Amino acid sequence: MPLLRFIATRISISLVTMLIVAVVIYFATAILPGDVASRLLGRSPDPTALAILQKRLGLDVPLVFRFLKWLGHVLIGDPGVSLISGQPVAEIVGRTLWNSSLLALLALLIYLPIAVIPAAIQAIYADRKTDHAISGAALGIMSLPDFLLGTFLLLAFAAWWPIFPPRSTIDETSGALDVLRALVLPAVTIALVMGTYATRYLRENLIEVLNSDYVRMARLNGIRESTVLWRHAFPNALVPTLNVTSLSLTYLFGGVVVVEKVFAFPGFGNLLVSSLMQLDVPVIQATVLVAAAIYVAGNLVADLLTVMVNPRLRYQ
Amino acid sequence: MTQEVQVAAHVASPVLHGGTRWRRLPISLWIGGLIVVAHLLVAILGPFLAPYAPGQMGAGIPLSGASWAHPFGLDQLGRDVFSRVLHGAWLVLVLSLSGTILGFLLGGIIGLISGYLGGRFDLVVMRIFEALISIPVLFSALLIIALVGAKASGTLVLIVIVIGFVYAPRVGRIARGAALEISALQYVLAAKLRGDSAWRIALREILPNATGTLLVEFATRAAYAPVLVASLGFLGFGIRPPTPEWGLIISENRDLIFISPATIIGPGFMLASLVIGINLLTEGISRILGRTVTQRN
Amino acid sequence: MGEAGAILKVDDLTVSYGYPGARVAALAGVSFEVAAGEVLGLVGESGSGKTTAALHILGHRPRGATLDKGSVLLRGRDVLKLSQAQVRALRGREVSYVPQNPGGSLNPARRIGRLIVELLEQHGVVKTRQEAWARAEELLAQVRLPDPRGLLQRYPHQISGGQQQRVVIAMAIAARPSLIVLDEPTTGLDVSTQKEILQLLREIRDTQNVAMVYVTHDLHVLREIATHVAVMYAGRTVEIGDIDQVFDAPRHPYTRGLIASVPDIRQSNALPRGLPGTLKRSELPAGCAFAPRCEFAKPSCWRNRQSLETVAGSHMVACECWTALARGAKAHWLHGRTAAETGSAAESVLELRDLCVDYETTSILGFARSARRRVVHHVNMTLRPGEIFALVGESGSGKSTIAKAILGLTAPSSGEIVFDGEALAGDVRHRTDLQRRRISLVFQNPDASLNPHRTAGQILGDALRSFEKVSASEAAERALAALQDVQLPDSYISRYPDQMSGGERQRVAIARALIVRPEVLICDEVLTALDVSVQAGILQLLLRLRTERRLSILFIAHDLAVVRSLADRAGVLYSGQMMAVGEKEALFDAPLHPYSFHLLRALPGAALVEPAVPPKAPAGAAASDGPRKGCPFFSRCLVARPGVCDVADPPARRIEGAVLYCHAEPETLRTAFKFVPEDEPAPDRMIG
Repeated sequence: MPLLRFIATRISISLVTMLIVAVVIYFATAILPGDVASRLLGRSPDPTALAILQKRLGLDVPLVFRFLKWLGHVLIGDPGVSLISGQPVAEIVGRTLWNSSLLALLALLIYLPIAVIPAAIQAIYADRKTDHAISGAALGIMSLPDFLLGTFLLLAFAAWWPIFPPRSTIDETSGALDVLRALVLPAVTIALVMGTYATRYLRENLIEVLNSDYVRMARLNGIRESTVLWRHAFPNALVPTLNVTSLSLTYLFGGVVVVEKVFAFPGFGNLLVSSLMQLDVPVIQATVLVAAAIYVAGNLVADLLTVMVNPRLRYQ
Repeated sequence: MTQEVQVAAHVASPVLHGGTRWRRLPISLWIGGLIVVAHLLVAILGPFLAPYAPGQMGAGIPLSGASWAHPFGLDQLGRDVFSRVLHGAWLVLVLSLSGTILGFLLGGIIGLISGYLGGRFDLVVMRIFEALISIPVLFSALLIIALVGAKASGTLVLIVIVIGFVYAPRVGRIARGAALEISALQYVLAAKLRGDSAWRIALREILPNATGTLLVEFATRAAYAPVLVASLGFLGFGIRPPTPEWGLIISENRDLIFISPATIIGPGFMLASLVIGINLLTEGISRILGRTVTQRN
Repeated sequence: MGEAGAILKVDDLTVSYGYPGARVAALAGVSFEVAAGEVLGLVGESGSGKTTAALHILGHRPRGATLDKGSVLLRGRDVLKLSQAQVRALRGREVSYVPQNPGGSLNPARRIGRLIVELLEQHGVVKTRQEAWARAEELLAQVRLPDPRGLLQRYPHQISGGQQQRVVIAMAIAARPSLIVLDEPTTGLDVSTQKEILQLLREIRDTQNVAMVYVTHDLHVLREIATHVAVMYAGRTVEIGDIDQVFDAPRHPYTRGLIASVPDIRQSNALPRGLPGTLKRSELPAGCAFAPRCEFAKPSCWRNRQSLETVAGSHMVACECWTALARGAKAHWLHGRTAAETGSAAESVLELRDLCVDYETTSILGFARSARRRVVHHVNMTLRPGEIFALVGESGSGKSTIAKAILGLTAPSSGEIVFDGEALAGDVRHRTDLQRRRISLVFQNPDASLNPHRTAGQILGDALRSFEKVSASEAAERALAALQDVQLPDSYISRYPDQMSGGERQRVAIARALIVRPEVLICDEVLTALDVSVQAGILQLLLRLRTERRLSILFIAHDLAVVRSLADRAGVLYSGQMMAVGEKEALFDAPLHPYSFHLLRALPGAALVEPAVPPKAPAGAAASDGPRKGCPFFSRCLVARPGVCDVADPPARRIEGAVLYCHAEPETLRTAFKFVPEDEPAPDRMIG
């Protein structure tokens, strides 16, 4: 039962956080300079047309009511229509979210070995030359801003050795292989950025586990080194891996704006940038809300998995 | 009866006094320090060393690639990219540093107070922090810039404010954690028992012991700030052209990548080396203080 | 020792830490032998090298350690010369290990059964998986764990600390090794659990024909289990021999000082002597390492390296002066107290009246829940002017919570705390400056109680300025005086906490408490983090301050021996409830309360006979959750009467010098708990 209570509290906290996010986003976008209606109608709008448009957009109702109405619609999965294209926001966001999810999935697949293998090598050879060399390399990659990393990869694998397309534009008509080819470079960029951060964190945690009393005990009991690593150390190092991966989720959906731009990938970040440039308020609201929701959900899942994986927490 | 032997809770940073511990400084601190000092020098002397003015067109044949006269090549308008990079060096340093300091003043103070006071106040502050943190860094930054609108967009102050606002809740969370941990220590309890004021406890007992954590956090954030500035410039939401801001230069020359890669590699190298320098410095500091660097998000 | 049947023969083991040029010797030529059926105790204070020696027996070299010379022969094979694979095959099979911290040593992510089965399979003790599980169950039964089959499926954190240690012991004997190395295996356990674990280890020693090396700092524990003892100081063996030879006729000044540092359980008012100074490994002389702290040291001791010389039989000592020194350990100082020193029964400086404290569990969202847990239950006690009142109890007995309530850190749910005739506010923020100044606190752990960024002088000045407006020079003067009060040199005024030893830090913490001139000093487990030889000095200091300043001290402790040596009166707490309160002689010389008897009987070296009533199977710890009903000790009490004891709170019964809270009549208790008078030797001394 304490487990159920923990899950319930943890979920309610997430909901509270999301509510605050919704409030912040809605009210922040509501004060966008230049009434949206007047922007849409150009520089000197006809007053009657403006009033009609304002009424159509619901701008004549007090802000709080508009917020509640918006929130209600969001909760049933209908955040309105785009002010620019008139398409349903859910459709626009859904399409890019799908693209971004494909990218995220591939990036995660590449990221896991990039993060875990060096960390494991470093932990085993802690404070020796191998460890320092990997640390140095990771620090170098980590210090490269992601748009530069992407640009350099583009330079290398699209210009000098053109095995990947220079622009990762995909749409419904793209074939599976084309999509995959388009995704590789951005995914590698993202995975490198995430992986180098995760490696540092995992190395510390693995070293801590390998120096723990129970690992020492297993060694002093004459347990084989491979068993010590895989059966004794690894399960306990899983938790930090989960945590650091969940933290990276926010980067996958929100931080990759520039990477998407480098590769001209029609993802989530690009959607935000374009909607911000056009002040397409419903799209902005939905995009930011979804990005925040992914972060919150990622943290929630990581916390719950931590508890599931760790028997000590599970029974508390 | 249990022997309630407690391991010394050294949340607090080790004290550096008597000079004894400074002798064996980590190598990363030296290299990082050197790189950062070099960047400072470039920032100060850059405008005087640059062979051309930042906006001077026709310094050579546009798009002619890297040469000894133009190490970073020429852009589409025939401007010398190397000169532009030198002229813009101070921008990235000043913007990053002031933005990070602003974030620390905002987030650090609120976080420390929140962690020390605890209770409902802390609860509310933390939920708000969490909510703000859940919006990705770049999303928040872009959103703020869009909200401010055309009037202020592209100004230096706006960039500083953006960095400060984006960092504040993130720093606040770290500061709050440090304050919370230190507040539970017995010497803080001793001060509370004597009836010392919250202000005095914060200044004398908590702040000195939180400096280690805050210093590492500051360095980590300071290392990311140039990336943030450049990313905004790259996306076209940062400083307005023709200011020679590095991210903007990279963005402007993006289409030249297959024609004259030096125009991107040059400023890119400068930006990356600055970040590497600060990161090495951070690594050195955290090694001295015996703690791990926090995750950025 | 020394027979042909030696299982383990350690010879001239020399190990150092650090880099070439900056080497610190961890072990300097350590030699000893252990035969089957023998238990060799390695005893010494922190930094003596005893754990390093123990780990080398297992072929484990700690990081940064270099083996300079020496050998560890296990059944004739040098463990230190074996390959990695050979060492692995040896560990757990030939030689096994029982660590100090069983909780941390059992992998939290794996079930107990899996851990044991894995060990059995990897050492080829069993042929099939089924056999392994059956054997694991047998082993758990062998170490007297209840429900072995069910236990196999549980995780380590789901069982108590004592049970965890039993599991570790089961793993240690799983492959029937010829040697078991035990590193402080009972440190951190409650005394009653410790007693049970020691009983189990004695059984293993006597029935399994196994040799043991037992590392400990606790001389009383050693006497319960060891047959031989090697006393270590700064990586050297300073004295070695049969346990009786060494303990009854110690020759080395260090051994004598160590024995004199331990409070005598069988005597009241016998204050341990302690040793001057602390072990500083960086400042060892070329000759005898102990010379800087030795009261008998001659100039030649500082120069000459000492080697072990035979005293008689296998008893050897490494001290060139041993023949010149009088025999035997130094006696404890007996201190008496006069009526003038402690107030009369009528006076009180601090009084707890019916004090109850509840903890409320709060959810993360900040809404207080109705779930309350009572941690202090109707406690009454009085602290008289100038007396030392000890509050004794196991972990979780609520003794620290009472201290928090007195200090105003936890508000009582009901009852009163009366100080000097006035009821104190529940929250320290609502108390007057004067009230706060007059009650001072010394914490358990000096490492955490001093701000690492401030010097001793600043720490003392901060405390002073909280209550008095003083000039900088006056503050410095007062700080110096306070340091003198706690016998620290003036130079310490500019030292940071990390430039001091644990004992010195604790002295600064006491000075900080005293500089504001309090009337009541609350000492919360102030000795726990310190070595025994250092503890004695702190005890003497407290006693002197009491006499000189007529300070009233509330001394919170779990160590009955310390309490008996120091306190005037005491209160025994169990699960938040006062069990007995009164003169310490009345409580402990002939313990009548079932719980006091239980505590005293569990002490290693205690001189009590078994009770007249049949002993009960050891029950688990008291249930602290759920509604409280009746006497909390009911489930473990030897004379408990169902239907009475588990229904109502125990009534107060007045006896000579004390009040007992028990349903049984004092007469019943007197016949149930017989005790041996103090001057008779303990009949149940376990010497092999």
